[in-house]
Amino acid sequence: MILIVNTTSDTSVTKEIKERAAGLGLEPEVIEAAGMKISHCIGCNYCWLKTPGVCSVKDDYEIILKKVIHADQLWVISDTALGFLDHKGKNIFDRILPIATMYLKFVKDQMRHVPRYEQRTDIGIICRGEPDMDYLQRWSERAALNFESRSLGVFGTERIKEAVSCMC
Amino acid sequence: MHVLIINGSPRVKQYSNTDKILEKFTEGLCENNTTYEQYEISDKNQWEDIRKAYYSNSNILIALPLYVECIPGLLMEFLETLSPKNDGTKIAYILQSGFAEGIQLRCGEAYLEKLTGFLGCEYAGTLVKGDNFSIRFFEGDMRDRVTGPYTEMGREYAANGGFNTDKCRAFTGYEILPAHMRLALGILQRTLARTMFARIARSWGCTKPLDYRPYQ
Ligand SMILES: Cc1cc2nc3c(=O)[nH]c(=O)nc-3n(C[C@H](O)[C@H](O)[C@H](O)COP(=O)(O)O)c2cc1C
Repeated sequence: MILIVNTTSDTSVTKEIKERAAGLGLEPEVIEAAGMKISHCIGCNYCWLKTPGVCSVKDDYEIILKKVIHADQLWVISDTALGFLDHKGKNIFDRILPIATMYLKFVKDQMRHVPRYEQRTDIGIICRGEPDMDYLQRWSERAALNFESRSLGVFGTERIKEAVSCMC
Repeated sequence: MHVLIINGSPRVKQYSNTDKILEKFTEGLCENNTTYEQYEISDKNQWEDIRKAYYSNSNILIALPLYVECIPGLLMEFLETLSPKNDGTKIAYILQSGFAEGIQLRCGEAYLEKLTGFLGCEYAGTLVKGDNFSIRFFEGDMRDRVTGPYTEMGREYAANGGFNTDKCRAFTGYEILPAHMRLALGILQRTLARTMFARIARSWGCTKPLDYRPYQ
């Protein structure tokens, strides 16, 4: 399953994705998150040590979390701030912590958390505005390592066709 | 010198590892007449005051936990409300994290240098250090063993106005842990550490195994 989370209020991006994906016989699941209530991660550690796998912040993020654990790909559409994802985009990644456990292990030469589920979800980013693309690519690859998955890349809104060609 | 210190952690002050690090750091910082004021990003009621302090101070230190390889979403939300200064203000950072190896923080560190440019300020370096996850679970001597070394870094900052010195760079410790340590730690993580985590979980009222899958 391909999951697309749009944190921007620009629905023309998701419209284009849906159309192009349909042309390839794909039907991604799209969540328009701009109007949803999604807080930042408060770092309470409850999802690791008190209510394993469940976030203590009760808001609309749970809808996303429940889908991520079945998704082969997670695409986050984000606005840009200070060269990076804006806070709405970043919060989608910060809040994903419940899919990891408290347990640790080494993967190659670096420490990682043991994933909670079997599913591995590759991550892709579509950015509006003008981010520091080279940096975002680097960040996206690091972030994916943490989920034991791959980065599908970072794309500006002018490259949606290319992004969709990575969806499968 | 007067320093504006911003704790960029989303975690409330009482439980924030960054706060405990700053406690020790500021002891060293203040030894030679350097003064500071400190604010918490986790408390939105302080944001207006932090903004004012950002515009009126020329030495700024942002201390923050690494959140998914970069800055926490909440800190980003605050920073989005600032305008670039372009007046020679210096920003230095303390970047601290859970994982122990220096290599884990480099991507976050790289962003902090870029961020400084976007804010129209001068980059005064980042103190990079992992292995801080357990601070909130420790007290007394055990905690001091982790946070104590930051006092010397406070002195370094006061003397140099930033972290661009060999001593600060060396503070990171191992970039990657040597193979024998990885082997030993790997075994520890599968055994003793799990017992310890389970103990903490029980004391927090946890009734499920820590690898429980609520959504399947
Ligand atoms: C949402 C979230 C994401 C985190 N991401 C990372 C990470 O990518 N790498 C790492 O080493 N530690 C990571 N940590 C661990 C924190 O950086 C570490 O526990 C830190 O000491 C917390 O400081 P604080 O108590 O001041 O917030 C993360 C913690 C949270 C809650």
